[in-house]
Amino acid sequence: MIFPAEDFFTDAPRPTPLFSAVASQSDANLWTTVNGWTAARVYSSVSGEYETAKSGAALADLGPLARYSVRGAQAAEFLGRVTTAPAVSLHVGESARGLMLNDAGYVIDLAEVSRLSDDLFLLTLPAPHARHIALASRGMKVEANDISADVAALGVFGPQTAGVLSAAGLKSVNEMTAASGVLRGVETAARPIQFGAMPGMELIFPKEEALTIWERIMRRGAGAPIGLDALEVLRLEAGVPRPGLDFMPAGKAGAEPRTPEELGLAHLAPLDKGWFNGRRALRELAGKPRRRLRAFAIDAEEASPGAAVFCDGKALGRVTSCAWSPARKRVIALADMDAASAGNIYEISAPDQSGGRLAASRLETVESALAKAFAGEQGDAQRLATDFRR
Amino acid sequence: MTNPLDGNDENKGGHRIEGGIDAVVIGAGADGLAASAYLGKAGLRTVLVGAGPEIGGRIAAREIAPGVQGVDGEHLITILDPDVIAELDLYRHGVEFAARRLDTTYFFESGEVLRFDGDLTQAALLNLEDDSDREALEAFMGDVLETAAFLRPVFAGGGYAGPGGNHQRQLEKVVNQAPPEMAARVQRYLYATAEDVLRARFDDEQLRTLLLAEASFRSASPPHEPFSFMSLLRRYAGEAAGLQGAAAYPKGGTVSVIDALRRAAQAAKVDVRAATPVKSILIEGDRVAGVTLADGGQLRSSIVIAAIDAQQAFQDMIGPEMIDIGLQRILTTRRPEISTARMQIILKGVAQDEATRRNMMRRLVYAPPPEALTKAFIDARAGRVPERVIVEAMFPAALDEGAALDKRQVMSVMAHPLPFDEAPDDERREAIRSVILDSIEIFAAGFAGRIEVDDLRLASDEAAAARASAGAYAAKPDVMQQWALAAAVTKGARISGFYFCGPEAQIGAGLSCASGRAAAKAALRAYKKGAA
Repeated sequence: MIFPAEDFFTDAPRPTPLFSAVASQSDANLWTTVNGWTAARVYSSVSGEYETAKSGAALADLGPLARYSVRGAQAAEFLGRVTTAPAVSLHVGESARGLMLNDAGYVIDLAEVSRLSDDLFLLTLPAPHARHIALASRGMKVEANDISADVAALGVFGPQTAGVLSAAGLKSVNEMTAASGVLRGVETAARPIQFGAMPGMELIFPKEEALTIWERIMRRGAGAPIGLDALEVLRLEAGVPRPGLDFMPAGKAGAEPRTPEELGLAHLAPLDKGWFNGRRALRELAGKPRRRLRAFAIDAEEASPGAAVFCDGKALGRVTSCAWSPARKRVIALADMDAASAGNIYEISAPDQSGGRLAASRLETVESALAKAFAGEQGDAQRLATDFRR
Repeated sequence: MTNPLDGNDENKGGHRIEGGIDAVVIGAGADGLAASAYLGKAGLRTVLVGAGPEIGGRIAAREIAPGVQGVDGEHLITILDPDVIAELDLYRHGVEFAARRLDTTYFFESGEVLRFDGDLTQAALLNLEDDSDREALEAFMGDVLETAAFLRPVFAGGGYAGPGGNHQRQLEKVVNQAPPEMAARVQRYLYATAEDVLRARFDDEQLRTLLLAEASFRSASPPHEPFSFMSLLRRYAGEAAGLQGAAAYPKGGTVSVIDALRRAAQAAKVDVRAATPVKSILIEGDRVAGVTLADGGQLRSSIVIAAIDAQQAFQDMIGPEMIDIGLQRILTTRRPEISTARMQIILKGVAQDEATRRNMMRRLVYAPPPEALTKAFIDARAGRVPERVIVEAMFPAALDEGAALDKRQVMSVMAHPLPFDEAPDDERREAIRSVILDSIEIFAAGFAGRIEVDDLRLASDEAAAARASAGAYAAKPDVMQQWALAAAVTKGARISGFYFCGPEAQIGAGLSCASGRAAAKAALRAYKKGAA
């Protein structure tokens, strides 16, 4: 799951159920607001937290994301309609990524669907879409409830994830299926999630027990918290667009809507599988992208969002988000480019006022490899995915 | 061409799959008949299925009292698409006008009367005393008729107006290509309230009153709200018996148009099947594949035209899990508030004096004072029965000798605005009945004493008779909203091969067939492209 862009204008952010727990861990005390909830940007240092995710187990408070329980005889059909995720074909315990599209086939948001039982699903979205969901459920045998405020959600990333899970009393969990367990009388659930394309697990428990479970994991020294800034680096390495930053969700005022293909996410909205909202319109748009979201590696120590991207000398796009990647030792950026911008030499305008340009090269990410494989091109998604986990 | 399935009794009932069909049209109302006739004429093997035992939908003949036939639905022709008449040869199939250019007599609260010639350009014939009023009216009618004629394509397209099926864009295009003077006028009329336009044009209270009544008649948009002037333009863009803005009465009533359409469909070798309710519309991939009938049988075809209301077509037959959420929002968030009632009254005796007899050959309209009209809309929206309503009345027998009765006569009435109820109780019916009779009494004093039978028909009754959803025949909102709705439903959820021409696709009230024609034409374009 991906965090949406921060909202800087919230007057009084609500504390997430895990807030008092994570606040006690925060040395940097640097906070921001996402969907009206508090979110820690940095706990100790971005590089340290990044390292934890790569070699240990990083714990992220996923409270700011929107969560819906979807129950009913038509829950699978409903989710197959609201999102492009193949909800109908999920087995109990399985999760799938997808997109939320509007009628015209443009991306409203990313989505993740988990099947918890035959007629119970969990829908996780970067931002709440209460009205859209309420409208979509009309006339169907389904009940969708926003449970964001009722549960604590803890994301766990990194090779030592299993240690955290066992500390939380969920020994039998593997990385493929959701499971539930009881820890000192508290009901907990774990499900595999993907942060962008990076696999991880998410623990969900009643908000009243948030502190208990957090303390237990901390006492065992099983993991360390990770903030939004380090997660942003991981996201960029995976090449996943962030709503509100790399694209504006369709329907937002002033948004220039993007199709899945334009965001490099065509593999999340296959036209030949089950029906989903906007598919018929998308079929007409398919193969005709106007823009392309592309990943670049920049030979520099810093770059800034908004910088122009030059393709064979012509300015054909702009950087939408970027960060220093410790693993690649370069700046990684996503840029919104003209669809006809395939060239050989890429440059990016330098962040200073000098007017200089930085050399850049196209970067293959997990997401772009998946898109390539989907398009039938020779891609190395498997290798990249394994690389990434390492 | 012969249909191999004709006369094959085995296919009636049973879980049968029928193939060899090019197109299925659901709904045997006027638009469904017109659409199927177009398809049949083009050589497509077409099956028309209607849910009820009778053909005709909302417009049907019915015995309103022993020995007295009435016609439900519409009582006059105002916006019947002239292209449909010509292309389907409706004159040859039996449409004949008994009265082509009905004059209108307007009655006012004050007891005064104003007569309009059936040809709106003939304002000079009016019994207006003031020359400046007459000039103002002539100039106004000239402007309005010209603008209305200019806008006809955007009203008549049914939603298939232009390549994108988008009225907004079509309108912009029309306006952009217009001479500057016309473009400015359209812009001005588009957003204006009827009240503002008329106040600016007329000093005469009566002219204003009667035009306000015409503008808001059968529309859910009150004359003091934006876009309400467009309702008048829509009405005057229509054509009856070759005359713009006129009203005409066909021999045998409006039901004769339905009969002619049915004959046209049969002449085009359409397989018309009444009492064949459809359960669902089959969709395979993103294409329509036919329909499933209530008896379990299937009709397979690559074209399906739904000439039924949108609720039934999209929510019930296609199902919410297969339609886009935006369309569902549009369909489920509508709540009709205003409706028009129909009343057929059998009066004892026949008129003796010449003046009354001449009046009976006209369209009679009671135009309430503007304040009373505004209040009527407020009341109706709040679910109360107003104190005054606009009444349009006509006497079929005075125009059509064939409809004459012995020592009795039928008065056909439409009244507006009234609250819309899905299931009106007896008390509500009685309240509506008495406000209509009260309003008639204003211009026909002593008329109540001559009533033998009165037959009230509310929008929900029409819907029940036509097996439509309760709100299908409620009054339509302002033209802007109608355009938005028509564009949404005719896009047909983007299922290829599926076309829609139910009541939601039509702009304006009245018997039009324009959307049936537009749906059939769109289907034929796609069919020819696919065949080529």
